[in-house]
Amino acid sequence: MLIAILILFPLVAGVLLLALKSKTANVATIYLYAALHLVISVWLWRQPSSLLPFFRVDDLNILFLLVLSVLYLGVAFYHGDFLKQSGLSPRWHTWYAICLLLFNCCMTGVILSTHLGLLWVFVEGTTLASAPFIYYEGNKAALEATWKYVFICSVGIALAFVGIILLSMSAGDTVSLFFDDLGANAGKLSPFWLRLAFPFILMGFGTKMGLAPVHAWLPDAHAESPAPISAVLSGTLLNTALLGILRVYRVMDLAGQSAQARILLVAMGFLSLFVCAVFVLKNRNYKRMLAYSSIENMGLIAIGAGLGGVGIFAAMLHMVAHSLGKASLFLTAGNILGHYGTKDVAGVRGLLRVDRATGWLWIIGFLALAAFPPFPAFLSEFLMAGAILDGGYAWMLVPFFLLLTVILFGMGHSVMQMAFGDPNPSVRSQRTPLVNYIPQVLFLAVLVAVGLAMPAPVYDLVQRAAVSLGGGR
Amino acid sequence: MINFLIVLFGVTMLYVAATSRIEAYVRMLVAQGLVLFLLVVADWQSFHLFNLLFLAVETLGFKAIIIPWFLRRVVRRNGVFRELEPYIPNFFSVVIASLIFAFGFLLAYGSLDFARDIKPLYFGVSVSTMLTGLLVITTRKMLVTHVAGYMMLENGIFLLSLSMAREMPLLVNLGVLLDIFLGIFLLGLFATKIKSTFDESKIDALTHLRD
Repeated sequence: MLIAILILFPLVAGVLLLALKSKTANVATIYLYAALHLVISVWLWRQPSSLLPFFRVDDLNILFLLVLSVLYLGVAFYHGDFLKQSGLSPRWHTWYAICLLLFNCCMTGVILSTHLGLLWVFVEGTTLASAPFIYYEGNKAALEATWKYVFICSVGIALAFVGIILLSMSAGDTVSLFFDDLGANAGKLSPFWLRLAFPFILMGFGTKMGLAPVHAWLPDAHAESPAPISAVLSGTLLNTALLGILRVYRVMDLAGQSAQARILLVAMGFLSLFVCAVFVLKNRNYKRMLAYSSIENMGLIAIGAGLGGVGIFAAMLHMVAHSLGKASLFLTAGNILGHYGTKDVAGVRGLLRVDRATGWLWIIGFLALAAFPPFPAFLSEFLMAGAILDGGYAWMLVPFFLLLTVILFGMGHSVMQMAFGDPNPSVRSQRTPLVNYIPQVLFLAVLVAVGLAMPAPVYDLVQRAAVSLGGGR
Repeated sequence: MINFLIVLFGVTMLYVAATSRIEAYVRMLVAQGLVLFLLVVADWQSFHLFNLLFLAVETLGFKAIIIPWFLRRVVRRNGVFRELEPYIPNFFSVVIASLIFAFGFLLAYGSLDFARDIKPLYFGVSVSTMLTGLLVITTRKMLVTHVAGYMMLENGIFLLSLSMAREMPLLVNLGVLLDIFLGIFLLGLFATKIKSTFDESKIDALTHLRD
């Protein structure tokens, strides 16, 4: 019942909003859905339930669902002022709200699906629902980014579908594509087709997740879309694609065929770190910098998942740390864009003097992402290094830390350049409403709480997700 | 008969790799749509009546008529009929496409030992078609060609899912559903915006966002 509300509310509300075409109703619905989403997610966390055989809450997806809820709540708050400033006509205002609701609905669908085909349909839905946001600015660059996003993700999704066909060849006509069924009958799956299917699924969903070498759409899309949407893209969309990969990875593991999958995940993870490290050294655009950092963090998660054991726990924790940290940075980047009107690092100086709160949020958000204690990214990267050692790949620590250090240096350099110094004389400090700070403070506060104290329920949440993937501490 | 159709399907892909005339790509898409339609009709026992009608409309109406018609309109309106300066010469495209086909059949026949009732011809041609579609996308520059290459990729996938039709009819319908969805979306984007904003509908025009 509760799951039905999560999935159907956006559809019903969308039709109503289309009829009303009222800006107040649009914003109110965005808020209402955010609040409902969080309440229902927490309820489902306490009392897992299912809807038909197709949607269910289990140990793994509840973590993803809660991250989505918390993040969407913050982003909805941010939208209050963002939509007021945007000057959209009532018609486009309504379509914006509808796309936002549908986008969230599709991500919720991906997270709760119990069937691989259904999950794939929802992943496709996320592309369609989010593409209009990337064209938001309506200029040439936005068009280019939208085209790349839709085209590259469509090719990716087509490859994922090939993977699904191969997986069903592996299953034959006795085993269905429900994850439970696949997991329970993993022994009956034909290993040949299974091993052939995984690379396709990894490449396909990996495109959506932003793993190198199939990440080409990600920097453009994140840089061109409006700040709160970049936050959602980076903070939750990438996670949903990750969930698809993890589901199939688990089946591979149960079938005893995970060796190749592990190598692929770790290799793509390191390649993602490398791509980010090369970029940040000549970074000019701060939104692109954050986008590349998403590629890096997805890479770290892939490495953790590929290592198994403690690595999976680290990967799950890192996902939480990255989602909230990156969303907070993207929202802050929206504030910066409001003050300076440019996405160039060179055009932004003296942020702390122009807007003290935004400046500090920018710096603290960076520290959260750069894995400084007390933020949980520190713990997760530390555990990941431990997992590398446990696996007996001590040599891997050298590129691991080397690449992370380069990325830390590159990002830190830009962040500090922007935060300190004298503001450019042309910049006029604008009044930023309080709601443009609250979400970031909320996200960072949650991160500090998780990093410092690690409350037992949160630990339990991450641990159970990891255990359901065959890992954990 | 069915084997002949599948071989014909494979030949269209080799022709696509060889030519640089965009209208030829469009014509090959029509041919592929027709072949897929005939394959669906030939395999009519695997489907319910309603499902069969749905697939017939999709393959004949959508794949063989609407999309090619639309692409041709875009080509005519832009007045660009040839794929100029592809990243690799056409001769090498054909060589690579031939190698892809050889690989596809090796894979198909090599996997007979592991497979439960796989149809090697279906499998070989569809895998080769998918890879050749990717080849077309990656080596050509025009946006029209990219859309055509994507449709070929999807046709390959459709062929593969047809070989599984008896066991997994769900898969065929899933693929079809999003075929339509995606085709409309890609073409809508293409027709309304890309053409009016870019002087030439070349992928070269899409290189302003870079690092």
